[in-house]
Amino acid sequence: MQDIIKLSQLVEQIQETIQTQFDNEVFWISARIMDVKKYETNRRCYLKLEEYENGIKTTEIRAVFWANYYHEIEKFEKVIKQPFKDGTEIICKVKVRFHKVYGLNLDVMQIDVAHTLGILELERQQTLEKLLKENPKTIQLFDGVYKTYNNRLQLPLVIENIALITAPNSDGQRDFQQEIKRNKHDYTFSVTEFLTTIQGDTAHKLILEQLNLIEKNKQRFDVVAIVRGGGSQTDFKPFDDYELSKCVANFSIPIFTGIGHDRNQSTVDLMAREQKTPTKVASLFIEHNFEFENSLIDLKTRLADAVKEGLENAKDELGHAKRIVKLSSPQAILNRGFAIIMSNNKIVVDPKTIKENSQLQTLLKDETIYSTVTKKTKNENRLNI
Amino acid sequence: MKTDLTYSDAYSKLEELVEQLEEGNIPLDKLSLKVKQANELISICENKLRNIQTEVNETIKAVTKRQKKKGSG
Repeated sequence: MQDIIKLSQLVEQIQETIQTQFDNEVFWISARIMDVKKYETNRRCYLKLEEYENGIKTTEIRAVFWANYYHEIEKFEKVIKQPFKDGTEIICKVKVRFHKVYGLNLDVMQIDVAHTLGILELERQQTLEKLLKENPKTIQLFDGVYKTYNNRLQLPLVIENIALITAPNSDGQRDFQQEIKRNKHDYTFSVTEFLTTIQGDTAHKLILEQLNLIEKNKQRFDVVAIVRGGGSQTDFKPFDDYELSKCVANFSIPIFTGIGHDRNQSTVDLMAREQKTPTKVASLFIEHNFEFENSLIDLKTRLADAVKEGLENAKDELGHAKRIVKLSSPQAILNRGFAIIMSNNKIVVDPKTIKENSQLQTLLKDETIYSTVTKKTKNENRLNI
Repeated sequence: MKTDLTYSDAYSKLEELVEQLEEGNIPLDKLSLKVKQANELISICENKLRNIQTEVNETIKAVTKRQKKKGSG
């Protein structure tokens, strides 16, 4: 019979072998994370690192972020703006650890955030390319700017009826409504809320459902606002979804986004009219109406000026007419040295009516001369007085 | 003037009217009428911004509701 050793002896041998082999060496590995369990209070995260080939899992090992490395997860979520969640492909620095009770583990010490960011950016670029390729009539790229059917729609002169897509009781909902209500110009807005979850794996589908609802009542709305904000900075993935982006690009009511982030714009942002925050979307609507009011004020001023000018012109014309009338009066003519010739108490207009020996009265400014016509001749030339 | 005119139609008409006035195409005897029309058009546009009629209706509704409540209570 072979020698029997204790379990602990065997496990110690394994431990020694592992320690000798790896000797606290660190490795950079690529893997997919699964079964992520985060314990924020004691700052630990337990997970599995996996590898797949042709969709089949080929490798799996347990891993841990201990408290002194938990900040790596926080950094990841802050930079990537997505939760550190199952299915994410990461590159991370690990150390092999073997514990006699808990077995084999990889201690994760660092995450290559830039790598994950690169993957996400690549996915985003692929989505944008697909949007351009499959919707050539409604989505085009000019000088780095996406022109879509939606973001080229003309806005009404006044924005009044707003369809608001947001999460219930969210900061985005509150910020938008507050800004709309406290507008200092007292403009009237009618905001209809379409409440839904806008984070998580199914968010893009839920937002699509709300857009479909709005589309059915499109006569009721001037614009659509999709807002989220404050709170969590994670999970912008729904806004990079192809189907949602396509729907936004082709939507028949102008869409404004205020989904609060500072990294690259999401694809939905690019297909719509993007503002950074819910508050900014609301203030843009107020500003839009203010512009209309200003143009109305401008028209009122022009109207008053035109009426004033019209009246002044009429007054001037009347004055002019009065002057002409005054200058044309017989007395004014006599004053200027002209004379009026009368015959039989009628002004002589046609000299043909005057014959030789006719009795004439010549009216001058101060006197009247009575005379008899002795001779009549035609003027050879026009008088040169 | 038609009261069912939309505010955007009213705005276009107002622009047109102001241009006519600026060009001096309105005879003096029509000026008063045109100014009256312009003021009506301005009201339609301003009401759109602050929706005075809606607010009035809302107030009437609220008052009627309150009166009904009082009556039944």
